Amino acid sequence: MNNIVFGIGITALIGALAAVAGAAEDTESNIGSQGDPNSQVQLAPQMGYIHRIFNKAIAGEPPAYGLWIVLGAGLAWSFMAMQLNAVLAIVLGSVLAVFVQGVYATTAYVGRTASLKKFGQPIYVDILKSMTTVTMAHAFIAIFCTVTLCYLMNAALGHPFPLPLLGFVWGIALGAAGSATGNPYYGKERQYQNQKFGAGVPIAQSGNIVRYAEAGERNSLDNGFFTAKLGGPASGVCFGLIVFLELWRTILFENISAGWGAIIIGVLMILVFTIIDRYIEVWGRKTYGPYAKPEEAKS
Amino acid sequence: MTVKVEVVEGGVPHTKIMVAGIVASLVCLYLSYLNVLTNTEMFSFFGGLAVVSALIWGSHTIKVLCSYGIGTGVPSAGMISFGSGVIAMLLATKFGIVAPIAALIIGVVVGVILGYLSNEVLNMKIPAMIQSLTELAVVGAFTLMGFAVLMTGGFTFTSLTTGSITILGVALPSFQVTFIGGSLIATAFLLGALAVQHPFNACLGPGWTQDRMLMCAAECGFLSMFVAAIMSFALVPAGSAIISTIIGLIGWAYTYCKYMGLSKRDAASWLDAKPIPEVEGH
Repeated sequence: MNNIVFGIGITALIGALAAVAGAAEDTESNIGSQGDPNSQVQLAPQMGYIHRIFNKAIAGEPPAYGLWIVLGAGLAWSFMAMQLNAVLAIVLGSVLAVFVQGVYATTAYVGRTASLKKFGQPIYVDILKSMTTVTMAHAFIAIFCTVTLCYLMNAALGHPFPLPLLGFVWGIALGAAGSATGNPYYGKERQYQNQKFGAGVPIAQSGNIVRYAEAGERNSLDNGFFTAKLGGPASGVCFGLIVFLELWRTILFENISAGWGAIIIGVLMILVFTIIDRYIEVWGRKTYGPYAKPEEAKS
Repeated sequence: MTVKVEVVEGGVPHTKIMVAGIVASLVCLYLSYLNVLTNTEMFSFFGGLAVVSALIWGSHTIKVLCSYGIGTGVPSAGMISFGSGVIAMLLATKFGIVAPIAALIIGVVVGVILGYLSNEVLNMKIPAMIQSLTELAVVGAFTLMGFAVLMTGGFTFTSLTTGSITILGVALPSFQVTFIGGSLIATAFLLGALAVQHPFNACLGPGWTQDRMLMCAAECGFLSMFVAAIMSFALVPAGSAIISTIIGLIGWAYTYCKYMGLSKRDAASWLDAKPIPEVEGH
């Protein structure tokens, strides 16, 4: 019983860390226009819409975050193998991983922008300096929280995987959660605030992203502010729930019929979530969207 | 999907880069065998140099493959490179001294099978597919082997799976503190997979230039070498790890400055805190 109470306590702590990590991850990736919104930011200058938005495309979010987290975890693992204190090891590992992230961000921005020479898109050095540092700060929070939760799984809950492998798994999960949950706010709506809500992007409007802010020209910090309000917390809740429920079902039910209990509960949870998701989707379409039934093709 | 969007115009031809990549990686991997001959681990940094040369070749292969209109497939090309490369590399480490050559041969076999499957079974019909996937599998195998040498000092299966842990001053053999047992191979996998796809992913567009992309590849390679060298402190003596770290850092700083210079050369303009320039018609 004591074990279960201890396990649930650690699970709650890990869930909280995951929520913070998810929120920071989405804010970071949206400031960098990574993932979903990226294609339009990349396309805009080609359609004549020169902009001041940061564009750091480093693969999709899942592989990118896979790397940052597995790197933080690998470095932390090495520092711990050198008999360094775990807290110090995780902090140092995260710092070095963030350094790599920052370097990748700058090379991605200048590279992509230099290739748009034909369309007159300039490289803005001030964007490079101010956005990269802000994404690095957010990435540090995301990496530190995720590596810490991997360490807790390994050290406190006795997960058999070594730290880097846990970092690999949860890093990709973190990127996927942020990419699937947080990005659509930015990529589908915020870039197209000048279009009818929920209308999608007509081809004629491709690349016509919102480039001007309440005052002056919009840059990615405005997107960070916006994401911190809605998309970030949503991603945090998503990743937090994934991690928490995953561990919760394992800790409580793994003793039932040699582990099958946890698997059955997992399947049940997927079913429950599928029903909830479908209900919300249908409700959302009916309430907000101009989603008319497709008309039969007229002959 | 078979419409070729852009071709490699001018610059160094792909075959030349490929041959140079194979030769340089193999030579560097074999130079690390000096570790065994001199009974030290001072030459582990050659693994890092093998990583850099394999990545430069791999990034250009991705450019060739992705010229066939598979723009969003750039990161996945990096993933399949290392997914197939890890099979070749792990199997090759069982062959002792001929491991690098075994990695090349097994990589070719795995790559040809994957290329055949994607072109003929999945019906992608991309002309460069089979050759590119074959090259990428070898790139993945060489890069992972390079990281293994960098972090452990050897490329044989034994050196990747046996380590030692010091408890109360007594050194005990341990599987946990090794390249494979500690899953550092997972870190090497993603370090390489992102580094091989990043150069083309970062430089694609109408203004793509070969020297800028290859410089970016070298930069990614040295950056990965630098962090991998820091991880190697856990597995090789501090002296060898320091050599690798310094070489990685110097190489990275040099290539990074060069890359920034090339980007400045290629960019439309390089502005600091200026508004959006006026463009005709908008």
